[in-house]
Amino acid sequence: MEDKKQLVGTPVSRVDGILKVTGKADYSTDHPVKDAAHAVIFKSTIAAGSIKRIDTAAAEKAPGVLAVITHENMPKLNTRGGIRGGAMLQGPEVTFYGQHIGLVVAETFEQARHAAHLVKVEYDPKNARVDFEKLASEAKVPKDKKDEKRGDVKAALADATHKVEEVYATPIEHHHALEPHATIAEWQGENVILYNSAQIVNGAQNAAASTLGLKPEQVRIVSPYLGGGFGSKGGQWANLVLTAVAAKMVKRPVKLALTRQQMFNSVGLRQRNFQKLSLAATPDGQLTALAHETTTHAAMQDEFVEPCGDCSKLMYEVPNSLISYRVVPMHLILPTYTRGPGKSTGSFALESAVDELAYKLNMDPIELRIKNEPERDPSNGKPWSSRTTVQCLREGAKAFGWEKRQAKPGENRQGNYLVGYGVACGTYPANQRPSSALVKLHRAGNDVTATVELAAADLGTGTYTILAQTAADALGVPLNKITVRIGDSDFPSAAGSVGSVGATSYANSVQDACVKLTDELMAKSGKQFFVRPTAAQLMVSEKINDHQTRVDSKASEKAEEYSSHSFNANFAEVWVDTSTGTVRVARFLAATGAGKILNPKTARSQILGGVTWGIGMALTEESIVDPRWGNFVTRSLAEYHVPVNLDIGQLEVLFIREEDTISNKLGVKGIGEVGIVGVAGAVANAVFNATGKRVRELPITPDKLL
Amino acid sequence: MRPFQYTRAQDVPTALKRREANPNAQFLAGGTNLLDLMKEDVERPDELIDISRLSLSQIKTIASGPNAGGVSIGGLGKNTDAANHPLVRQNYPLLSQAILAGASGQLRNMATNGGNLLQRTRCPYFYDVSMPCNKRAPGTGCGALEGINRMHAIFGWSEQCVAVYPSDMAVALAALDAVVKVQGAEGPERAIPFADFHRLPESTPEKDTNLNAGELITALELPKNQFAAHSYYLKVRDRASYAFALVSVAVGLELNKNRITRARIALGGVAHKPWRAYRAEELLVGKEATEVHFVAAAAAEMAEAKPLAHNGFKVELGRRSIVRALHMALNEGKS
Ligand SMILES: Cc1cc2nc3c(=O)[nH]c(=O)nc-3n(C[C@H](O)[C@H](O)[C@H](O)COP(=O)(O)OP(=O)(O)OC[C@H]3O[C@@H](n4cnc5c(N)ncnc54)[C@H](O)[C@@H]3O)c2cc1C
Repeated sequence: MEDKKQLVGTPVSRVDGILKVTGKADYSTDHPVKDAAHAVIFKSTIAAGSIKRIDTAAAEKAPGVLAVITHENMPKLNTRGGIRGGAMLQGPEVTFYGQHIGLVVAETFEQARHAAHLVKVEYDPKNARVDFEKLASEAKVPKDKKDEKRGDVKAALADATHKVEEVYATPIEHHHALEPHATIAEWQGENVILYNSAQIVNGAQNAAASTLGLKPEQVRIVSPYLGGGFGSKGGQWANLVLTAVAAKMVKRPVKLALTRQQMFNSVGLRQRNFQKLSLAATPDGQLTALAHETTTHAAMQDEFVEPCGDCSKLMYEVPNSLISYRVVPMHLILPTYTRGPGKSTGSFALESAVDELAYKLNMDPIELRIKNEPERDPSNGKPWSSRTTVQCLREGAKAFGWEKRQAKPGENRQGNYLVGYGVACGTYPANQRPSSALVKLHRAGNDVTATVELAAADLGTGTYTILAQTAADALGVPLNKITVRIGDSDFPSAAGSVGSVGATSYANSVQDACVKLTDELMAKSGKQFFVRPTAAQLMVSEKINDHQTRVDSKASEKAEEYSSHSFNANFAEVWVDTSTGTVRVARFLAATGAGKILNPKTARSQILGGVTWGIGMALTEESIVDPRWGNFVTRSLAEYHVPVNLDIGQLEVLFIREEDTISNKLGVKGIGEVGIVGVAGAVANAVFNATGKRVRELPITPDKLL
Repeated sequence: MRPFQYTRAQDVPTALKRREANPNAQFLAGGTNLLDLMKEDVERPDELIDISRLSLSQIKTIASGPNAGGVSIGGLGKNTDAANHPLVRQNYPLLSQAILAGASGQLRNMATNGGNLLQRTRCPYFYDVSMPCNKRAPGTGCGALEGINRMHAIFGWSEQCVAVYPSDMAVALAALDAVVKVQGAEGPERAIPFADFHRLPESTPEKDTNLNAGELITALELPKNQFAAHSYYLKVRDRASYAFALVSVAVGLELNKNRITRARIALGGVAHKPWRAYRAEELLVGKEATEVHFVAAAAAEMAEAKPLAHNGFKVELGRRSIVRALHMALNEGKS
């Protein structure tokens, strides 16, 4: 066969693109399940206390109603199973405003929604602990996050001529994936099929099984497409098991989709953080101390603390360092992973502080960063498998036109606007997680087709496409002859599409399976080859009709000896309206070193999405709690402002060429998370450069710049 | 959403009769506000009378009467059509700008001119039926007065209600001295001057307007004026589009050389109704159109503001926005 061009590394368009734009991709509740009833959840209207009386009589009598489920008739579930955030109707206690307290199942969605309004609830309210500004002082050391100390930060700060000690605040944010959390449950005897979007297919299977008291093999998760997740579909929440219980009770399949309003207190959130950053440096810009102390909140029963100090652990060479966390339980839903967990918020604090220090030192912020570039990972002493921070900064600066920046803030006036440039760095770990894959080849004449199966997830990011590319190259089968089947727990178990491990883990396992399959075919042929043939060639030459193989892949032991990360540098140009305080990000450039880029097109989209959310984080996104009652006053996307097209100026994406086969065989590092890291910092630093005003509390809304 | 009966009105008299017969009925126009509120259980009509097909969508020059030479805009015309009509664009670009500053293209295609005027506040305590709100449930208190009130009123509020009225279109209509034509089941058509159309909350915040129950908005009349050359709608918001105003300013100026002969200024996002800046207008008339006069007029207007705990910024923002909008109007929209 002729030498085929490699598809990996080329901008192949999404193989599932046509399905999506023609509406043929079935998201969770789109699956054509016959005879499904509809469920609607209703929620508590207090944050703390218990339900005294719940009157469902009117709801039960309403037209079309099949069942009203509350804690009074809910079966006991295992609350220590894998479902996050409680709210599974296991008792009368209420621990946050908007906790699920029941659901109505009816013939139609409208009937269920109407009946839900007819339920009357009386409460015994308790004092709600929801005012973080007041409770922050009570925060304690979290269970799984002890202080990490190196050297003597206090002494270094006391001795320093140049230092920054500031608190940076970030608000509660919500994921708000386009597709809300939605499930169809269909029982078949003692087994249940759950059509439910899941970033970790096997995780959802285990969470549902453990909570429902079933064996994992009794639960099948079907999740071929996700309309986004951003961490909120990493773990699974009560809605998944409530749907299963409802279906069992009404003896019919049941569909349940959360409404946008319900998304604010059903599926986690990014917590509010106060981050105290202390930096000390010598007059020539050598860092002598770095302390990153985060105070945050978690739920009453469960703790989740996003790791805001992660970037600070390893971005800069510094002899004295402290990373600490304090957390206070509150009557709010359990926080959870949210895009760039800890790193996006943490880098805002760290990179703002570095910018403040550069200003005090009268140094270019890029030079200050490069001066403190660490030789090895300062948090564990391991060598880097590769590190691209300096390249990202240098190449990014050149492409962006950093030399046009005026070092003195408030000097670049254009009509009614002040223009500013900002830079900030980011990083995210690159890991390969255990993943299995099954590859099947079939031959009809000279025509060879391949099917790849694994329980992977595609968040809309391009998993289908990169796996088809990987298999095409590894098997010698054309792209259009490859079927990728993922998102089903019946397939070989796989890692999740979380923490930027998806592409790395999936692509390596598919690659390994294809190599193994080719080896097997070669062995089967009994021949010697001077040039390694492709699996497709072997199927034809050896007249084999069907062959399949499965592998279980994991990271190499060597990878453990190194510190592997993606890195980036972000550049923002903002225009601040001097009369109204409105900020526009006119230009943004992200330079990213993320190993091998499997598909520059889908990879670019990932960075565009990360940057867009980062700009939202910097300028517009905030969920506000009423400190008297614990309810969100931002209740819909009319008040929770995600950026719209007009908010986003020109975005440029630059990938740094990097070959790093230490972290994994394919040299893939993952880009989903790192894309948002450093973005808010770059915007905030640009706002300072434009106006001379340092905003340390996100989002930077117009009122903060008046 | 509670079950309701749907009726489609074939003509204005039957629509009005039907509405008169059922006090729990409501007119359905574009539905972009009413249906949302029904889904949230805020509005609970048991009958919707669909008026969207009534032939009340014409835009035309007014031939006679007090506003002769002006333009009449049908109450059931779509926001998009009003914004793009040549008569509006040429004579009242301020109105075009204000409409286009609101909502999104899709919503404006559905939203009607009458429905826009009657859209209800976006106060989150009004929207959330588990919260106290005198506007939604009189006597339950005002959740926002001592709650989260960054988006709320700085003018004309009462202890009973601090909500703001959200329409952009109405801010321009206030500046343009529009007249709202309304028709009830009985009697002749009424004409309500725009300044009297919306109400301040006082002790009855449940009443947004002075429209009587069952009256239909048939048209909006815009009197002839010379503001077209010097008008501007400035909307300041938390994101670049698709967000309600923090503060908005509609300005129309008539000039003789650089001397202001007539001035109209209305503010949005600051009160329970479009807030006419009478004080600022008065100060400007007869003066040169210069920065000092703009600043003085803006300061005088905002001096009367009474901010709440979280919206003090609106006073300074309002002051600056008035000045900016005046400059923009003076310079024909160029900053
Ligand atoms: C997400 C979102 C964002 C928005 N952003 C903005 C914004 O930035 N700026 C802005 O100004 N608006 C905004 N809007 C509001 C939008 O402009 C209004 O929803 C729309 O104008 C209402 O018109 P409608 O015809 O759909 O009214 P409907 O919802 O049909 O009716 C509203 C009310 O008016 C009554 N009614 C309607 N027509 C008549 C009539 N002719 N006579 C008597 N009564 C009548 C109805 O009975 C009902 O009570 C937004 C809306 C949404 C959903």
